[in-house]
Amino acid sequence: MNASIAHSATLAARTTDSLQLLQSVISLDEVKKTFSSSGGESVDVIEDITLDIKQEEFVSIVGPSGCGKSTMFNIISGLLEPSAGTITLRGHDPKRGARIGYMLQRDLLFPWRTIIDNVCLGLEVQGIPKARRYEVAHDYLARYGLADFAKQYPNTLSGGMRQRVALIRTLITEPDLILLDEPFSALDYQTRLVLEEEIVSILKDAHKTVVLITHDIGEAISMSDRVAVMTQRPTSVKKIYDVGLSRELGSCLKARSDVRYQTFFDSIWNDLDIQISGGAS
Amino acid sequence: MSEAQLHTHVIRAGSVKENNENLAGNTLLTDNLWRGAGLALVVVLWQVGVNLGWINAFLMGSPAGIAGEAWRLIQSGQLLDDTVATVSATVMGFLLGSILGSLAGLLLWFSRTTARIIDPFMVALNGLPKIALAPMIIIWFGSGMFSKVMLAFVATFVVALLTAYQGTHQIDRNLINLMRSLGASRREVFSKVVAPATLPWIISAFRLNIGFALIAEIGGEFISSDRGLGRLIFVAGNLFNLNAVWVGVIMLMIVAIVLYVIVSQVAKRLLPWEQGQK
Repeated sequence: MNASIAHSATLAARTTDSLQLLQSVISLDEVKKTFSSSGGESVDVIEDITLDIKQEEFVSIVGPSGCGKSTMFNIISGLLEPSAGTITLRGHDPKRGARIGYMLQRDLLFPWRTIIDNVCLGLEVQGIPKARRYEVAHDYLARYGLADFAKQYPNTLSGGMRQRVALIRTLITEPDLILLDEPFSALDYQTRLVLEEEIVSILKDAHKTVVLITHDIGEAISMSDRVAVMTQRPTSVKKIYDVGLSRELGSCLKARSDVRYQTFFDSIWNDLDIQISGGAS
Repeated sequence: MSEAQLHTHVIRAGSVKENNENLAGNTLLTDNLWRGAGLALVVVLWQVGVNLGWINAFLMGSPAGIAGEAWRLIQSGQLLDDTVATVSATVMGFLLGSILGSLAGLLLWFSRTTARIIDPFMVALNGLPKIALAPMIIIWFGSGMFSKVMLAFVATFVVALLTAYQGTHQIDRNLINLMRSLGASRREVFSKVVAPATLPWIISAFRLNIGFALIAEIGGEFISSDRGLGRLIFVAGNLFNLNAVWVGVIMLMIVAIVLYVIVSQVAKRLLPWEQGQK
């Protein structure tokens, strides 16, 4: 218990501290990415992304398929360097993904680790002693209703539960920014709706700043404060919508049944300019 | 998902497991009955065939003759002596080759350049029937137990190395990226991802290597040896004592099965997360 109090104390300290210093958690300024193919030609994947994400904001990035979403993900998470432009995380250059936690379509739980050892992974890498990290992890698991599964292996859990474990593994390292890359696309529709709701509330409780990369317009509208719509490749930001339905109504499901939901959906759909290519062009 | 829902899930999972266990128990029993019956039928037919003169006992041996020969070899202590010699040399060479080979294969993960350079040599060595090295190894290390250990070592090392190294290549890059995003060093990536992810591959190399180690061991004993089941079979074969050959062969089968079961049990312990999968 002691550990958890200390844990939330550092969290609180960090939050107030950063609120005083900067509002912006991550800024992308004219970020551009060009890949050069083996033939010497260069392919522009990202033309220009300028986006400023504030403390505790939930921002979704929606784009047509093949618009370079995974490149964006890799740049934000620090796995790829942009070809031009700058990306700053809390005013600093993000050095190799430090302080960014992410969650992917696949939960990436280590099958050879029990749930609690999966959750502890980040703390273990940080060199925190076992007794202490178990204490912290137990606290997190209990808070999100997974305490009974601590000693089990991931293959005994359902897809939705595994994703929750993956989120806790991310939260436990207290990252400044959480990056979600289509985290629900492998789940069935009902589980997805439940998990959207749960994840938004977990992330809000934890005062996290979140970037969600998705192709699911509904998911973006129901979860986000803002939705950035991307163009086809080479990608740039086409339009940014201030949505905020889930924050205002306190629920993603309510957001989906709100009258404004359909309006947002229609205009984002039109922005994406998706064509079912049946024949030519 | 509510707690009640989770609870029913757990209960259901539990009862399904129980059912499966019962089912597995029943099928195992009937399977074993059929196996025993089949084996008994072959033995009886064989003995009847010999008694009626349809089967040449001199060329084929006979169940009664095999039993008599086995009893003689047990009483004289030779069977135990030969089995101990074969098993100890096989196990030593097998463990040495499999463990060192797996370690070498794992460590190659650190240096792709080294791996690339030695790759053709490893492939060539892997394709070579290791028993071809037996005359040389016996010249270098003598006809005693040590040369057999070395033979089993050579036969298992390359298989373990190649399998472990291939295993390190099958690892999901996302797992490694995840570790890096958490700030893990290369050594931590190795110990927390590469080694455990490769363990199932290593275990399967161990399973294969039981067979390879026994082939090398018996082959080596055929060529030159003073003790062992291979020598027992070879000598008895030259004397046309087919019953004694059978005793050696049956003993080798028992040895192979016991070693396989031991490796499987160890694997179960080492791969707890693979239990409960279908």
